[in-house]
Amino acid sequence: MTKELSRNERIKEASGYLRGTLSEGLTDIVTGAIAEDDQQLVKFHGMYLQDDRDLRPERTKKKLEKAFSFMIRLRIAGGVVTPQQWLQIDRIGRDYANGTLRLTTRQTFQFHGVIKSNLKTTMQAIDAALLDTLAACGDVNRNVLASTNPHQSRAHKEAHALAAAISDHLLPKTPAYREIWLDGEKIAGGEEEVVEPVYGRTYLPRKFKTVVAVPPSNEVDVFAQDLGFIAILDDAGEIEGWNVTVGGGMGMTHGEPDTYPRTADVMGFCAPEDALRVAEAVVTVQRDWGDRTSRKHARLKYTIEDRGLDAFRAEVERRIGKPLGAPRPFRFESNGDRYGWTQGEDGRQHLTLFIENGRIRDIPGGPALMTGLRRIAEVHDGEFRLTANQNVIVANVRPENRTAIEAAVAAHGLTSHAGALRRNAMACVALPTCGLALAESERYLPDLVTALEERLALHGLAEDEITIRMTGCPNGCARPYIAEIGLVGRGPERYNLYLGAAFDGSRLSKLYAEDIGHDAIVAALDPLFAAYALERREGERFGDFVIRAGFVARTANGADFHARTGSQRVTALALEAAQ
Amino acid sequence: MSAAALLPQTAPFGDDDRLSLDRVLAVASVTQRAWLAGFLAGLDAGQGNAPKTDAPPRAAEPLTILFASESGNAERLAQDVAKLARKNGFKPSIVDFADLDVADLPRQGRIVAIAATWGEGDPPARAVRAYGELMGDAAPRLDGVTFAVLALGDTAYAEFCAVGKALDARFAELGAIRAVERIDCDLDFEAPAAAWIKSTLATLAPAQAPQDNVVAVDFGARGGIEPSREPIPAEIVEHIDLNSSRSDKETIHLALGFDGPAPAYEPGDALELFPENDPALVDAVLASTGLATDDTLREALRTERDVTTLSVKTLDAFVSLTGHAEVRRLVEDGGARAWTEGRQLIDLVQAYPATLTADQLRTLTRPLPPRAYSIASSRREVGDEAHLLVAAVRYESFGRLRSGVASTYVADRVKAGGALRVRLKPNRHFRLPDSATDIIMVGPGTGVAPFRAFVQERRAVGATGRSWLFYGDRRYTHDFLYQLEWQDALKDGSLARIDLAFSRDTPEKTYVQHRLFQQRRDVVDWLEGGARLYVCGDAKAMAKDLRAALVAAYADVKALTPDAAEAAVAGLERDKRYLQDVY
Repeated sequence: MTKELSRNERIKEASGYLRGTLSEGLTDIVTGAIAEDDQQLVKFHGMYLQDDRDLRPERTKKKLEKAFSFMIRLRIAGGVVTPQQWLQIDRIGRDYANGTLRLTTRQTFQFHGVIKSNLKTTMQAIDAALLDTLAACGDVNRNVLASTNPHQSRAHKEAHALAAAISDHLLPKTPAYREIWLDGEKIAGGEEEVVEPVYGRTYLPRKFKTVVAVPPSNEVDVFAQDLGFIAILDDAGEIEGWNVTVGGGMGMTHGEPDTYPRTADVMGFCAPEDALRVAEAVVTVQRDWGDRTSRKHARLKYTIEDRGLDAFRAEVERRIGKPLGAPRPFRFESNGDRYGWTQGEDGRQHLTLFIENGRIRDIPGGPALMTGLRRIAEVHDGEFRLTANQNVIVANVRPENRTAIEAAVAAHGLTSHAGALRRNAMACVALPTCGLALAESERYLPDLVTALEERLALHGLAEDEITIRMTGCPNGCARPYIAEIGLVGRGPERYNLYLGAAFDGSRLSKLYAEDIGHDAIVAALDPLFAAYALERREGERFGDFVIRAGFVARTANGADFHARTGSQRVTALALEAAQ
Repeated sequence: MSAAALLPQTAPFGDDDRLSLDRVLAVASVTQRAWLAGFLAGLDAGQGNAPKTDAPPRAAEPLTILFASESGNAERLAQDVAKLARKNGFKPSIVDFADLDVADLPRQGRIVAIAATWGEGDPPARAVRAYGELMGDAAPRLDGVTFAVLALGDTAYAEFCAVGKALDARFAELGAIRAVERIDCDLDFEAPAAAWIKSTLATLAPAQAPQDNVVAVDFGARGGIEPSREPIPAEIVEHIDLNSSRSDKETIHLALGFDGPAPAYEPGDALELFPENDPALVDAVLASTGLATDDTLREALRTERDVTTLSVKTLDAFVSLTGHAEVRRLVEDGGARAWTEGRQLIDLVQAYPATLTADQLRTLTRPLPPRAYSIASSRREVGDEAHLLVAAVRYESFGRLRSGVASTYVADRVKAGGALRVRLKPNRHFRLPDSATDIIMVGPGTGVAPFRAFVQERRAVGATGRSWLFYGDRRYTHDFLYQLEWQDALKDGSLARIDLAFSRDTPEKTYVQHRLFQQRRDVVDWLEGGARLYVCGDAKAMAKDLRAALVAAYADVKALTPDAAEAAVAGLERDKRYLQDVY
């Protein structure tokens, strides 16, 4: 049976290693858009063509095309930048983007609202900051995450080093990026193997996400990733090796039950020196085995489901020329961040700042996040680490510098109080810029959290940590299916409510209520909060409680995600009351 | 497009008859016309009705009518002078300052000069060269020349009628004899100018009137019906703010329909729009002058009087009407002009309240003038519509929000389905060349209006000449006027090329003049190949900077000295290949 390749495969094949007609498209100044096929290719260069959907209704009437602009995503393995780079990024955000910076769930920055005429200037400014955007999006290994956990300075260093090595090793080698954006000399295409030794002409079937985790923190959500490395530490805190996970992924499509989120399997254990080869082997097996006929069935998670973990492991072992070890035990505690000041093993100090939804901006009448962080960057001589929860760590602060940084924090309201639910909340960008969004996310979640926090407070749960995540569509950028409360957009102001995921990100949630609006969401959760306050066991997490108490069925793994959905206890009355 | 009219307006027929004849003649073949000519001549000869042509006409006295025009008003008045002068037995010749050789002036026996003042006391752009020569040391003596000056201006500007005044003084200084006292006209120039022209020609009149049975046929005059001077009603077919709701600008695309054919405009022409005042402003003025209850006056002020402009003349009038001591002091101390800067009538009557009569308030104001907007459409494409592009003018001054009378009338006080009054204002100095000639158009902001008309026209006639547009505004995403139409024009070839400058999209501001300089090789190449350059928009900064950029472009591309590059651009202007419609 040979099915036709998906359209994107033909675009990649014909693109001449991601060139397409991007260069020509940039010179077509009368439109802010680029050619349709190029819109797919430009993702590999780290950007998406978007338009301001708030403005769509008025544009044609005003004889204007859609309000096109580009989202540009940086590649920053492990999310570490210097203060100098921070200042350069900040400047780009103010000069060429929409005056804000967006921290993402993949430890990087996004610029929004960069118009086509400013693209090259922006890309060159990024290059001048010794940063790039290559492979930040597209069917390639994307930005590699690493735990930032500042307590374990040595383990973090190792994790970051592995993340950077993987990111560099799996970076597309095409000269197209340099040619198009940096006016590099055009290099004639040579033999396929020479241009892209890992990827070949058509790269991967679909996006590919890799992380490096250091227990007990699962802030990088290792189970939500195509490929993961979990640090196995000895008693002295040194890295013994890595457990390797494969086949996690969030994306699905509403109404298509053969698409589903999946938590990764632990495939085996490898020694530190083998990690890079294992990463490459996993990527190339997926390159060769992945389904290139259907974009909705092309992620590694479906390859694992279709071929089986054993077969996949065997092929990886064949390619690295040695067997993987048996997985070692590990234990995660949470997938969130800890805020405030901490001190690392080496005596350096670190300040984790909460950035609501990762949006860095000066809020009129509120915290001046953008200015405040700029002031910190001006005096800081350590580094900044972006977390996978869209927050920022001012890391490696010399003790004598702490006063100056605390002054900047206080002056700009950077630690204004946020409740426990808000601190564990995450939203994707969604409207108005994301073309996939079905509903609001970043612009709405703060209001929903406010409403829910009021209810939590009534039940005495104001200081209980519960994870809540929202996305505007089912593709899952904010990893909603492994949050204790997950909300996924269905349509304008309508969401699916998912419950029952594990606090440490190791278990998927289950659909609890479908296609409901704000009041119904609050009404659905309020009785669960009440029950949780009354009936929970010592230390029992909300996600575990709702399963044990019978509100929602437990999701074992991916294919099981769509089974036994809905409320399992009598909460229908409450829902009805709200509607 | 309706057939071009054949008979001049000077033809000895009533308007209706003339139009009827035109309808037949315009579509008649050469044979039909020849037959008719012969038939009519034969008929009259047979009946002994032939006009007397045997009385030798007395040699008509030459009269030179010199004009310096920016918006076309001075030129139109020059034509009025010529028309009347011909009736009075003169042999008038009209000379545009743009074409004037100053050395010819001493040979003119009689000169009637009509001069507009522009901006801050400047001569119209096309008149700058000759005006400079006349004012300069090398100007010839004008002994024996008789002259009269009609000055046009706007009391809203400090240097009211400055050019006319200077010209009047200069003629006298050079030895010419002032036959009639100069008249300084404000925007409501029609009636005073007509009276002045009549009396001036009477004063200058030749001794003997011409034989009245001589039919003067002015074959040199342009064919076509002269546009009606009466405002005509127009229906607002479309009223669209073209800027995005995120823009800090507001530019209205106004599509006007007419009861019958549209005025016979050509691309490059303007429509004068007769605005109405903001009723709130009228109420405020009435309230401050003790006239709040006079509804008749309220209506008159709203539709007929300029209740915004404040000039030194207004202050003078206010003092003589009210005897207001403080304002009198202001005037006597010489502080009047400074005080009026940035202020309007409402500031005067609120700062110095006085109870006025309705007549006094009328005296204090001038008639509400129409505002001319370049037409943004071609009849060949839009049929009997005319499109205008109107940018709402809003700003703050002395703690008060100010709004442009005409532009906010359009933006705020009329809507689709409503009506307003307009009048055609031709601009024959801003017309397309033949369709094989390349054109470069520079029109940022609302300056793009005539170029939309140009591109529509060239598409409709299938022009083979290339068209290149330089457009700019503040932000690409929110202020790219007619973006979708330019995309179509590039696709169908009616626009060969576009270059864009959006000043607020980058930290350093980029304007059309920068883009023109960046593209200087191609710009000079096009111009050397015979292209025409058109500039429309802001006179103060853009047009001047653009000219400087063009001089720099010539200097750079052709390795010319600054003087030689200046001469090259001046040559384009002289050849009428560098044309401006600026405001």
